[in-house]
Amino acid sequence: MAARLLLRSGFRAAAACRAARVPVPTRSMAAGGIPTDEEQATGLEKIIMKAMKDGTDPYNMLKPKSFAGSKADPHLVPSITNKRIVGCVCEEDNTAVVWFWLHEGEAQRCPSCGSHYKLVAHELPH
Amino acid sequence: MAHQAHAYHMVDPSPWPLTGAVAALLLTSGTAIWMHFNSLVLMTLGLVLLLLTMYQWWRDIIREGTFQGHHTPPVQKGLRYGMILFITSEVFFFLGFFWAFYHSSLAPTPELGGCWPPTGITTLDPFEVPLLNTAVLLASGVTVTWAHHSIMEGQRKQAIQSLTLTILLGFYFTFLQAMEYFEAPFTIADGVYGSTFFVATGFHGLHVIIGSTFLAVCLLRQVQFHFTSEHHFGFEAAAWYWHFVDVVWLFLYISIYWWGS
Repeated sequence: MAARLLLRSGFRAAAACRAARVPVPTRSMAAGGIPTDEEQATGLEKIIMKAMKDGTDPYNMLKPKSFAGSKADPHLVPSITNKRIVGCVCEEDNTAVVWFWLHEGEAQRCPSCGSHYKLVAHELPH
Repeated sequence: MAHQAHAYHMVDPSPWPLTGAVAALLLTSGTAIWMHFNSLVLMTLGLVLLLLTMYQWWRDIIREGTFQGHHTPPVQKGLRYGMILFITSEVFFFLGFFWAFYHSSLAPTPELGGCWPPTGITTLDPFEVPLLNTAVLLASGVTVTWAHHSIMEGQRKQAIQSLTLTILLGFYFTFLQAMEYFEAPFTIADGVYGSTFFVATGFHGLHVIIGSTFLAVCLLRQVQFHFTSEHHFGFEAAAWYWHFVDVVWLFLYISIYWWGS
């Protein structure tokens, strides 16, 4: 099969050199008969595909950005309303999570470790 | 579309899990009724309900993924985990039957003549039809890989050809194995040899039929343009299952057909 592929690409290369500049079909339905995601993806899959190409992450698929948690660099917590519950794992591997409501306005501090958290307005993707 | 800030799929309410559970109840109780009271009604009902459940549940999944776009990357990842875990559970299922075979064959009891194969059993020649069967399944593993690469490279015609060839090879295996079953000089009632042979190879044959059906569904979907060159998990799942069936056969062949003869 590999030999067949090699032969085919060889022929294509030779033909391209010899023939006049003919536009190559970029859409795969025209080329091989199987559509690409670009052509056929729909719904949420398509929205996410486009967003990933643009470099955005509206559906929080990637790991959230890491903050220092200091006064100058507080954890930024996105929220679609004016408050959100935060669970702080103060030190790595802590089994007791410190839960508290984070309200909009000035940054709040975790009652246990003192890290700073600030609510940030966030639009629902749809 | 529902309002959500995540990429997962919150599935709409569906009756198929319930119909599936009812089918399982009817099948199990129906089989017991059949064995004791000579009535096939309950079991047949269970079978019909099971087939309807499978058809409609998987049809709905295809609608949700291919036509509605709900199978985002994290959803697909979950489906992959699911298929791998399922195949792993099937590996353990077969492990049990291999355990039974080795338990009986490594230390054959006096009732068998203290030897394996047991006294009076004429085994099948491993270098006749069983060897052909091995070649058929190995070839089908090659053709299914050819089909996968064809899909990834956007080659529709080749994808359809190689997938069809894979299914035909699967049918050929089933046909040959059925012939072997018919012609075999021993039956399932022939002591522990018969039991281990037919239960292990029988369940394997059932899995070949299931795998062929799965691949056939993929062929229908491929013809109808469901798969894209990047997103074709249904096909990948079918290919994984098919490779698993192939590997089980190799173990069966080495253990039961060859070593056990």
